[in-house]
Amino acid sequence: MARRLLVPLGIAGTLLGPACYNGASPQDSDAPPETTGSGGSGDPSTGDAPTTGDSGEPGGKEFAPGRAVFPRLTIKQYRNSIEHLLGPALPAPALEPDTNPYLFYTIGAASTFISELGVQQYEEAADQISHAVFDDPARREALVGCVPAAPTDPCVQGFLSSFGRRAYRRPLTPEELTRWVTVADQLSTGDPWRGLQYAVSGILQSPHFLYRVELGEPDPDDPSRLRYTAYEMASRLSFLLWNGPPDDALLDAAETGELLTDAGVLAEAERLLADPRARTAIQEFFAQYLYLGKLDGVTRDPERYPLFTPTLPRSMLLEVQLLVDDLVYRTDSDIRQLFSTRHTFVNSELAALYGIDAPGASPITFVPVDLPEDGPRAGILTLGAFLAINAHETLTSPTLRGKYLRERVLCEIVPPPPGDVDTNLDEEVVDAKTLREKLEQHRKDPVCAGCHAVMDPPGYLFENFDPIGAFRTEDNGYPVDASGDLDGKPLANARELAEALKDDSRVSRCMLIQLFRHATGRLETLTERPGINELHDRFERSGFRYRPLLLDFVVSDVFRTVSEENDA
Amino acid sequence: MSPLIKRPPLSRRTLLRGAIGGTAVALAIPPLEAMFSLGGARAADPQAEPIFGLFFWANGVPWHAAHGGDQAANSQGGDLWTPAAVGPGFAPSPLLTPLAAHQVSVATGLEPKTEVPQPDNGQSDGHMRGFMVAMTGDRIRPEGFDHPSHTLTCLRPTLDQYVAQHEQFYGNAPPRFRSLCLGVSEARFHDYGHWNAISFTGPDSPVIPISNPAQLYGMLFDVPADLMAVGRRATLVDAVLEDAKSLEARLGGTDKQRLEAHLDHLREVQRRLELSSGTCENVPPPPGDSGDLIARTEIHAQILAVALQCGLTRVFSFMLTSPATTHVFSNLGVPNGMHQVCHDGQWDWVRSITEYQMLAFARLLDQLALTKDPMDNSLLDRACIYGVSEYGEGYKHSNVETPVVLAGGACGKLVRGYHYREPGGNLCKVHVTILRALGIDTPSYGFNGAETTEHLTGVLA
Repeated sequence: MARRLLVPLGIAGTLLGPACYNGASPQDSDAPPETTGSGGSGDPSTGDAPTTGDSGEPGGKEFAPGRAVFPRLTIKQYRNSIEHLLGPALPAPALEPDTNPYLFYTIGAASTFISELGVQQYEEAADQISHAVFDDPARREALVGCVPAAPTDPCVQGFLSSFGRRAYRRPLTPEELTRWVTVADQLSTGDPWRGLQYAVSGILQSPHFLYRVELGEPDPDDPSRLRYTAYEMASRLSFLLWNGPPDDALLDAAETGELLTDAGVLAEAERLLADPRARTAIQEFFAQYLYLGKLDGVTRDPERYPLFTPTLPRSMLLEVQLLVDDLVYRTDSDIRQLFSTRHTFVNSELAALYGIDAPGASPITFVPVDLPEDGPRAGILTLGAFLAINAHETLTSPTLRGKYLRERVLCEIVPPPPGDVDTNLDEEVVDAKTLREKLEQHRKDPVCAGCHAVMDPPGYLFENFDPIGAFRTEDNGYPVDASGDLDGKPLANARELAEALKDDSRVSRCMLIQLFRHATGRLETLTERPGINELHDRFERSGFRYRPLLLDFVVSDVFRTVSEENDA
Repeated sequence: MSPLIKRPPLSRRTLLRGAIGGTAVALAIPPLEAMFSLGGARAADPQAEPIFGLFFWANGVPWHAAHGGDQAANSQGGDLWTPAAVGPGFAPSPLLTPLAAHQVSVATGLEPKTEVPQPDNGQSDGHMRGFMVAMTGDRIRPEGFDHPSHTLTCLRPTLDQYVAQHEQFYGNAPPRFRSLCLGVSEARFHDYGHWNAISFTGPDSPVIPISNPAQLYGMLFDVPADLMAVGRRATLVDAVLEDAKSLEARLGGTDKQRLEAHLDHLREVQRRLELSSGTCENVPPPPGDSGDLIARTEIHAQILAVALQCGLTRVFSFMLTSPATTHVFSNLGVPNGMHQVCHDGQWDWVRSITEYQMLAFARLLDQLALTKDPMDNSLLDRACIYGVSEYGEGYKHSNVETPVVLAGGACGKLVRGYHYREPGGNLCKVHVTILRALGIDTPSYGFNGAETTEHLTGVLA
């Protein structure tokens, strides 16, 4: 039996090849693809195509949950766990790098097989970290809280019980506790502290620690599905809202069964959201969704781009972080404004890049500004980060910028180029004056047009911004034409795009889909659509505010129930 | 050359076993010399032990007419890769000149023959299909494939991992490391993760290469001082394996396979801990590092050569640049990433970049040739080094004329300095050739349309 990647249904599946080549409009990526392999006919949103494995009737209105996943901890989650378990300032040895298919590290964590080197790194990390703690008399006493007199005395038993609960994110079974106490005994070599060090090292290598075990239990309210257990809900809440393990209070809320009730889940979620760790976790989501990590690799020739400094990419990153924080926390307002607001935060080099005054800004001080009303910029698609990551060292890339809009902001799959494509631009346009003229070839050649007709026209809207995001009116000495369109609607420039996006329902829906994928570690399935639709309705009713969305999300069946199906 | 003890190591677990079952065992046993083995039986005649290396460079070679399309005006050089003469003793082409000193063999004209599933959805894309067939002899796994995000995986292990796991290669005496996976350029087409590696042990099982020389060095040569502590770490793994059993019972399908792979790896880690008195006698000095590809290749090559020489492994992969690389060769005056430069038909730049990549390849071969045993056989004499790229060239993403280099002597099994040419030939003949050169029974190789029973005639001795 062939292994499968994640979800039963490949997202870029059977619909999209013919759709692209026929020049049809892009498919909505959260429309579940059909497994019949029939190609691009029929709009999936009408629900007229049955799929196999669907637990309801074709296009049914009943929500049914998707399957469980089995993710290992991401690097950040591992380090946050170590800090929670053993305290700060411990060694941080190398670990298996995270991968992010479909944009999110949680999806990579749930789908890849760890390598042998990765397992070795876990073993070495556990050894190194446990030594760092237990070789230090003050540190170990502070951690354990008592001094063990013998390798299996109550001090040892008590510590391993509570440590194990925190590490496994649930109480140890009696068998598990016996196992680790026995290790503490047998490997102590006469020193109870040494025994504890080995027991802790072993616990840190256990798959019960390294992987999230969230498999569900029968749901008393609905025999057709499972619900996550109280302890599993504790982990799901903390990994989503803190990108780390549950604290003792959350585990206690599991123990009392509160986390099986709506009110209990909500109360704990609100507590978690109020904690600084949530701010960091939310930034980490937006960083993946918006591809901010790509800023690390941005280099430019300062002779060609005098406004580019070695610190500019980092400034661009901070700008977006401040904007996200402002919308999510300080103003708690419509998060879709990310794509249309003229409000942003700049330091002196960003102000220079944008050609605006920013009183009080310095190289290290960011100040809030409102970009000029009659200016070219509004929303993050006109700010440095997006523009720079979607450009080459000396060339803009309308294709990359258009692709980003389609894939990340609108959740529309850009179908792939056909095999054997002539990816180069024809000789006759080699003498083209501007990049835009060169790319027109994409539109002329029917082999290219189906897909590039989707990406390039909105991508042109950004042509007034050069490879570092500075405004320009000329490209290669010729006047820039930044006109384009979005799905046939003509737009003069990126500023008009920002206006158009304000009313585009794809934006909010896509953001929800991205959150779903990040939160669940997999792609959405057909049967979950009704639940996602309902969440979107709530999102809208709450004024598209992000924190209320998170609260609605964690309380919903989408987050709290799971199907019995596995991917055997 | 470091002497290796040729007898099965006594497992420390043998002494300590039963501790975790509750039976008390006294640990005050003096270490026996037999406990401390470097592992990996070494035959008296090193000629009997071949080495396999896989060297990958990105974006093929500069366009030439065989790829179709009309770039002739842009590309003044014509075919800079394919040597004019076929057979033994060919004069190197311009791009093969850096490798000429090592009398490399080359195969030209070959292409993937795997069937592309329908609907295609981008599985025929030259980068991805070519890469997969070159590495594995098989096509991309159709399930879960997503072109826009370049989410792709293999159906079977890459050739280096296939060899490393094959019972006819290491037998029942694998060395300390079955393989090493190294990388040089850190540029990635994007960070979606599935082009971060050229080696896979199976579907969704990438082996991310080590790019940092210090990390490689530490892994190979840092030997813990306290050997009894290392033994206890090995024993501890028994408890971890035991602890995982309750979880194994609850999982199904792919997730269960993922856990089991983890536990298999853990047993291998344990095996290494039990061998752990050892590293090479001639530990090299700690390495520096460099952002320059050639300099970093040299640093890696020096470390790798010591490891191969003393038998820490006999298989490696070496990812100079990642598939579809965006590496900016600014040292050559190229302003944009290589991938873009290929798309834009800037063939002079593509030529200088490819030449540079061949120079890096040459440095690796230099080091392997330089490192000799007392009988004056070099590592290169023992090695079969498979040098390949993901496709023929980047203008049409053309998979025809895949560039293939076979360097080294494979303990006398490989013919050196031979140009095999077969326009339209099956790329998987390369895999058959390599496996037979390494002494692995291979009636056929290649899958899903690419099956072949033939090796490259003239290349096997």
